[in-house]
Amino acid sequence: MTSVESLSPPLPARRSLPHISQYLPLVPPAVVLLFVFAIPMGMMISLSFRASEGDAPTLYHYERFFGDGLMLAGLWRTALMSGLVAICVTVMAYPIAYYLARSRSRWRPVVFALAIAPELAGVVLRTYGWLVILEDHGAINATLMWAGILSEPLPLSKNLVGVVIGLTHVVLPFGVLSLLTSIQGIDPNLERAAQILGASRLSVIRRIILPLSIPGIVSSLLIAFTISASAYATPALLGGAGFKVLATMVYEQVLFYIDWPFAAVMAVVLLVMMLTIAFVGGRFEARLHKKLHI
Amino acid sequence: MNRFLSILFQSSLLLILAFIALPLVVVFAASVSPTAVISFNPSEWTMKWFGELTSSRWLDPFLLSVKLATIVTFLSGVLGLLAAYAVAYRKCPGHEAIMAFLLSPLAVPQIVKGLAIVLFLSSFGFYHLLGTAGLVMAHVVLTLPFVVRMIAGAMYNFDRRLDQAARILGATAFQRIRFILLPIIKPGLFSGMTFAFILSFNNIPLSVFLVRPGETTLPITVINHMEYSLDPVLAAVNVASLAFILAAIFLFERIGGFSTQIHGGSK
Repeated sequence: MTSVESLSPPLPARRSLPHISQYLPLVPPAVVLLFVFAIPMGMMISLSFRASEGDAPTLYHYERFFGDGLMLAGLWRTALMSGLVAICVTVMAYPIAYYLARSRSRWRPVVFALAIAPELAGVVLRTYGWLVILEDHGAINATLMWAGILSEPLPLSKNLVGVVIGLTHVVLPFGVLSLLTSIQGIDPNLERAAQILGASRLSVIRRIILPLSIPGIVSSLLIAFTISASAYATPALLGGAGFKVLATMVYEQVLFYIDWPFAAVMAVVLLVMMLTIAFVGGRFEARLHKKLHI
Repeated sequence: MNRFLSILFQSSLLLILAFIALPLVVVFAASVSPTAVISFNPSEWTMKWFGELTSSRWLDPFLLSVKLATIVTFLSGVLGLLAAYAVAYRKCPGHEAIMAFLLSPLAVPQIVKGLAIVLFLSSFGFYHLLGTAGLVMAHVVLTLPFVVRMIAGAMYNFDRRLDQAARILGATAFQRIRFILLPIIKPGLFSGMTFAFILSFNNIPLSVFLVRPGETTLPITVINHMEYSLDPVLAAVNVASLAFILAAIFLFERIGGFSTQIHGGSK
C-alpha cells in the first residue's frame, strides 16, 4: 500500500462522485432558461400541431400554410431576400477583409472601425438613414428628378431593393469578420512564392487566394443568409406592407389576426428552415476545411 | 495590369466604405438640418430637434430603455457568472451538454423566441407581466448566452496554477474566487455585459411583442413613429441614443478594462 498514491494529497471528493453542490450555481440560470425559453418553445411547437388550444394533435395548420399561395410566396420571398443579401454581403465584405488581413497601412485601424462600428448604431438608426435616402421623395429620387433624369421616382423602398440594401448594410460586418479569419489563415508566403515565380496579381488572386478562402466564403454566405432570414426590423421598415417575409408575417399574424396556432406554424417553419441551413451548411463547411487543410 | 488592378481594388474599397458610412452621415446631417430637407451647409445647422427630446414623449421611452438595459445587464452578468463558474471553471460532469443548453437560445430567431414568450405568458393569463417584467425576462434570455460564452472563454483561459498556489497558501474558496478568479476574468465579464447592454438597448424583435401602451422602449417608439413620417426629430433621437451607447461603452471600458483583451494585450 506504500504506493505513490499515499504520498500525494487525498483526492478531492468531487472527483469520485458527482457532488450535488457543484450544480448549485447552475440553478438560477437554468430556471430562467427553462421558464422563459425551453418551456415556451415547447408550448409553441405543441400549439402548432393543434387546431385550437387543447385539441388533439393535427397537421391542420401546416396543411393550411403549405396550401396557401400567399404563405408560400412569403417563404419564397424570405429565401430570395436572404440569398441576395448573402451574395451582396460576401462580394462587398471580401475586399475589406482582404485589405484588413494583408495591409500594414496606417489606415487599417480606420477601415476596421468603419467596417465594424456601425453595428453599435442599431438597426433603427441605419434604417432611418436608408429611408431618407431611398424614399420616393428621398435624396436619390429628389436629386435625379431635380436634374431632369427622371420624371417618376424610382421604386427604391417598400420593396425587395430597399430591403436588400438595408440588410446588406446590417449584415456586412459579420461577413467581414468571417472572411477575415479565413484570409488571415492563408500563409502570405504562398502569395510571395507565386509572385516570385512570375504569377501576375490577377492569377495570384484567382488561383491562390480565392480557392484557399472558400471556407470563409461559405461561412460568410451562411451567416449572412441565416441572419437575414430571421431579421425582423429591416424588412418591416424598408419592405413595408408590400414586401412581407416570414418574420414580419409571424408578427402580423399575432397582432392583426390573433391566430396563435397559425403564427406558431410560421415560426416553426422559419426555425426549421434556419436550423436545416445551419446544419447542412456547417457539415459542408467542415468538409471543405478538411479537404483544404489535410 | 498590376497597377490597373490595384487602382480597381482601392476604388472598390472606397466605394464599399462609402456605402457603410452613407446612412450614418445622412442621419447626422438630418439631425442638425433646419428643415426636413437635408442640408450639408454647417452655417445652417441647428440643434432645435435635439431640444424636443426633453418632452416626455421621447424621454419616457428613453428612461424605460435605460432602466431595462441596466437591469438586464446586471441580471445577465450575475446569471452568466454562476453558469460559467459551474460549467467552465468547475467543469462539472456533463458540462459540455449543459453548455449546449445554455447556448441553445442562439439558434432560435428572435421573433420566434418573442412569439414563444408571449404565447407562454398569455396562455397562463400572465397579462400583467407584459411590459417591463416581460421585457426584462425576454432580454435576459436573449443576452445570457452571449455573456456566458464570453465569461466561459475567460475562465477556460484561466491559469489554474494561480488557484493552486492560493490554496497552498491557505486561501479559502471564497477568497480564491474574490481575489483571484474574479479580477482575472473581469475583462471577459465586462465585455459580455457591455454586449448585453447594447443588445438590450437596441432590441426590436423581442420588444415588439412585449411592450404595452405607456411601457414602450425607445427603438419601438421610434419605429412606430417612422411608419408614418420621417420627422427630423427621429434623426435627433437616433443620434442622441447612439451617443448614449458610446458613452455607456466608454464607462464599461473604464470599469472593466476589456479593450486590452480586444487588442490582444494581456492573456
